[in-house]
Order: sequence, then structure tokens, then C-alpha cells
Amino acid sequence: MKKPAQSFTLVITGAPYASQAPQTALHFAKAALDAGHRIHHVFLYGDGVHLASNLACPPSDEADWPAQWREFLSSRQISATCCVASALRRGLLDATEAKRYEREAFNVSEPYNIAGLGEWLESSQSSSRTLYFNGSH
Amino acid sequence: MTRRYLFVIDRAPYGDWSGREALDMAFSAAAFDQPVALLFTGAGVQWLRDQQQPAAIEQKTVSRNLSAASLFGIEALYADQASLDRFKLAQSEPSLEISTIGSIREVENQFTDVVRL
Repeated sequence: MKKPAQSFTLVITGAPYASQAPQTALHFAKAALDAGHRIHHVFLYGDGVHLASNLACPPSDEADWPAQWREFLSSRQISATCCVASALRRGLLDATEAKRYEREAFNVSEPYNIAGLGEWLESSQSSSRTLYFNGSH
Repeated sequence: MTRRYLFVIDRAPYGDWSGREALDMAFSAAAFDQPVALLFTGAGVQWLRDQQQPAAIEQKTVSRNLSAASLFGIEALYADQASLDRFKLAQSEPSLEISTIGSIREVENQFTDVVRL
């Protein structure tokens, strides 16, 4: 018997190039969609917020995980949040935060928005399961 | 569906930020009236050590954060006995009420969401 489709929230807490978390999460997300499930929301937390930087420039012979994730989120129209407390500590700012903290540059933009832990809780409550990708366990 | 959140802290405090960020998540879930508990295991039991003095490394003691747990509505603090023995923690921070457990799996099974950062 076919199992009913599930909806997943993915929480990524490992940074690209420091951990395997973003890659593992992306492979999971694609496999889940291929199997007919839904990705409800992606929440970047802790070191995972580095994935949202649009200033990452990996060497051209290496996989560009931030770009692959941006492309995946946009093409599949999946919403994604960067936790504001984690992001500010690590220098990940969108235009609004850059203005608020009077910084010259910002490195977070669409498809990510910056918001608080309420987004994590809300999406975890409205998904069938929440998976945490830290890349080190 | 009612969720029950268990946050597993398995790394010592101060070496990285994951434990503090796990606490932020736990406290925020508790603030929204969700059932939440913390489980300390492995080197994570070092969070419970009495008389920590992290000022020399420009950090604030995590005991203060942990003593706020009950105020935030955290239901329980668990620590597994094997890890307490391994790190020779006969007596933990006296202000904390710790439930020692034998089987981690048994505790995890009481929660719908088990979070390891």
C-alpha cells in the first residue's frame, strides 16, 4: 500500500564548506519531492545561515551549494527563512537589517527572508515532520 | 497533532555556539506553550557542572541560562547516568533539578520532535 504524502520542514544548522549538512539536506529534499512528498519550509539556523550568503564565491571546479540551494528554492517555490539572531551574529544581513544596523553592504536576498524562531515553530507545527541537518552526527 | 520537543545537548558548553542556540530554540518553543524538555548526554553533561567560571574566556556562565529553564516552562532536564559517571559529575549545579535516566531511547520515544543541533 502506498504511504500518504508527507510535508517536511527542513532545518539546516551546518554551514556549507564546513559541513555536509546543506548537501545532505538538498539531496533529501529532491528525493522527497520525487517521491511525491512536499517541502513545506526551510529554516536556516546557527551556522546554517551561511548558506544564505549571496556573496559566496567557491572555485569554479567546486559545487556552488549556496547557488544550488537558491536555484532549488526558487524553481520549486519553497519558502525559506534565515534565523535573525543567528544571522546578525554571523554577519548575514538583508537590505532591511543592513539599514537598521547602518552597515554598508548586505548579502541576503530572495529567496530567503530573515525572521525569528517563530517561523521555525510555526512551520514545524504545520508539517508532518521536521528534519534537522547539522552535518556532524 | 500535539508536539513534544526534546532538545539533546551532547557537546560541552563554550566550545561552540550550538548549545546556546539549542536553548534559544527550546525557550522559544516553551514560550509558545509547547511541551519542551532538555536532555544532556555525552560531553553535554558538562553544562551541569557546578561553579563554572568562564569569565576568563570572555563568556557568560551557562548555568544562569539553565536556571531560567523552569521559568520558561521547560518541563524537565534529563541527564543520562552513564555520561554523568564518565565525566565524574556526582553532584551537578545545585540550583538545577535534574532527572537522571538510564535509557536515552526510552526518553526520546516520549517526544514527537527530537532536536540535535
